[in-house]
Amino acid sequence: MAKTVLVVDDSVTMVMSLKTTLTMSGFEVETANNGQVALDKLNAGIKPHLILTDVNMPVMGGLELIGKVRALPAFRFIPILTLTTESEASKRDEGKRAGATGWLVKPVGGNDLIAVIKKVLPGA
Amino acid sequence: MASAAYRGLEGISPARAGRIGAGEDEVPPHRRSRLRKARNRLLGQTALGLSCNLLLYLSLSYLLGPVFIPYRNQTSGLLLLFIALPFLIVQWINWVQACKGIAELGIVGTFSKTQLESVETRRMAMGEELKDSQPYIDVMHDQIGDSLAESEREVVEVIEQIGILNAKANGQREHIARSIKSGTELTESTHTRVENNKQIIVAIDMQLESQIEEFRNNFERIEGLANEVRALTPLIKVITSIAQQTSLLALNAEIEAARAGSAGRGFAVVAFEVRKLAVSSTQAAADITTKIHATCKKVDGEMAEARESLEQHEASSAMSHLVTDLGEMQSEFAKNGQLLLEVITEVDANYAESVVRLSQALGHIQFQDVMRQRMEHVQEALKEMRDHLQNMSEWAFDFTWKGDLGHHFKGMLEAHKGRYRMASQTVTHLAATGGKSDGDHSRPAIELF
Repeated sequence: MAKTVLVVDDSVTMVMSLKTTLTMSGFEVETANNGQVALDKLNAGIKPHLILTDVNMPVMGGLELIGKVRALPAFRFIPILTLTTESEASKRDEGKRAGATGWLVKPVGGNDLIAVIKKVLPGA
Repeated sequence: MASAAYRGLEGISPARAGRIGAGEDEVPPHRRSRLRKARNRLLGQTALGLSCNLLLYLSLSYLLGPVFIPYRNQTSGLLLLFIALPFLIVQWINWVQACKGIAELGIVGTFSKTQLESVETRRMAMGEELKDSQPYIDVMHDQIGDSLAESEREVVEVIEQIGILNAKANGQREHIARSIKSGTELTESTHTRVENNKQIIVAIDMQLESQIEEFRNNFERIEGLANEVRALTPLIKVITSIAQQTSLLALNAEIEAARAGSAGRGFAVVAFEVRKLAVSSTQAAADITTKIHATCKKVDGEMAEARESLEQHEASSAMSHLVTDLGEMQSEFAKNGQLLLEVITEVDANYAESVVRLSQALGHIQFQDVMRQRMEHVQEALKEMRDHLQNMSEWAFDFTWKGDLGHHFKGMLEAHKGRYRMASQTVTHLAATGGKSDGDHSRPAIELF
């Protein structure tokens, strides 16, 4: 059964490229253009196996989203990867404290991305 | 004491003003004499002011009482200090102001009226120019924004095309896989049928072989019989010869009987009957010969046809050929099936490789988002620069401005270092300006916690 990935990014190009990359590798993809929309979708009942989120977004950023997702019992242990242009060490530590599983700095090659996802999502 | 024309220089420190006032460093040599005169005049004015104040103090003291006499009591001394101290403070302030005035004169005050007008004109022009920088920067800002939007549209188009291409390739691959599957099933089915047919054909072939063998035996028997019948022909000739000789003897006997007269009449009848029998025998022998010939001829014709047919059967070996053909056909099927399997395997491998390459290409497309964020940072910087230049433009016309710029390009540039998100931004900044980064971008691009 195909695993579902929730892609959260305010950039149309990022959402589309990630969706295409993941679909080509056999994943099903849900998308959201900011943290609030992603949170609404999770509360509405979608059950992704992994969340791939940007950090800097309008309305609700990625780190805030991670904190709120970790507060939901159903998603306490879901792998959450950040995919962002932020490469500053302090930001990474902030992400780690918020509960991120990993930190990926854009641009990340599709194959590297799939490899990381398969690493944190056994059976994918 | 400074005029409106050189208000903009009020931020100069007293120490610097002192140096300038003394005619050091900043003052060009050809202006030093004018500056020295101005300074002496101001010093003279200050000394005159002090003298006047002292005279006023003495006059008042003389009129109000001899408080200035040193041997008066302590109260009078304190009163003296109380009156004199404000005067001294006022004079010190006056002196500082005079120094500042001298300093300003060192820079501006030595300009002629024409030069001051030129400075004023340039100031106005610079103010206007600063003001006009707003639309210029706005246009550049919007150009960047539009370029980003355009590149985003194009990149979206590229991604869509890649998605379509991949979907088509995937659909084609699945289609080929389905075709191969049905082809393989067909090959296997054909193989099974051919195997069954081969067994049937082998059985039929064996049956035919048996029939041919039996046919051959029958043929040989018939041929033997025909030869035996043909072997009767000489015997018929012997019979014919005997019959002819008998007929001849009967004729002679008849002649002899006629010669004997009535005594030979009975013998003549017998001889006649014998001759008739001999003629009949000759006739019968001729008929038998004719029939034997006809029969032999017919048997020969049938035998020739049978031989030809047998030879054809033996030569063609039709059934064994059919079995061989079926076997070859099956091999061809198997070979083609294998070939198709290799094709789909190659197509599958190529598809997998194209997925890898397309994934990498899509990863590279993320540069658009990276570029967008860098350009947005530049746009913010342009807006910051625009606002700063507008403020400077307003200050250029504002004669009440106190000289506080609020922001400086140097400070703004330094502040950018703290707002960079990417290592590449910091690298570019440092390459242009030198210096060290405050941030730490040294960790790997992919980090699992």
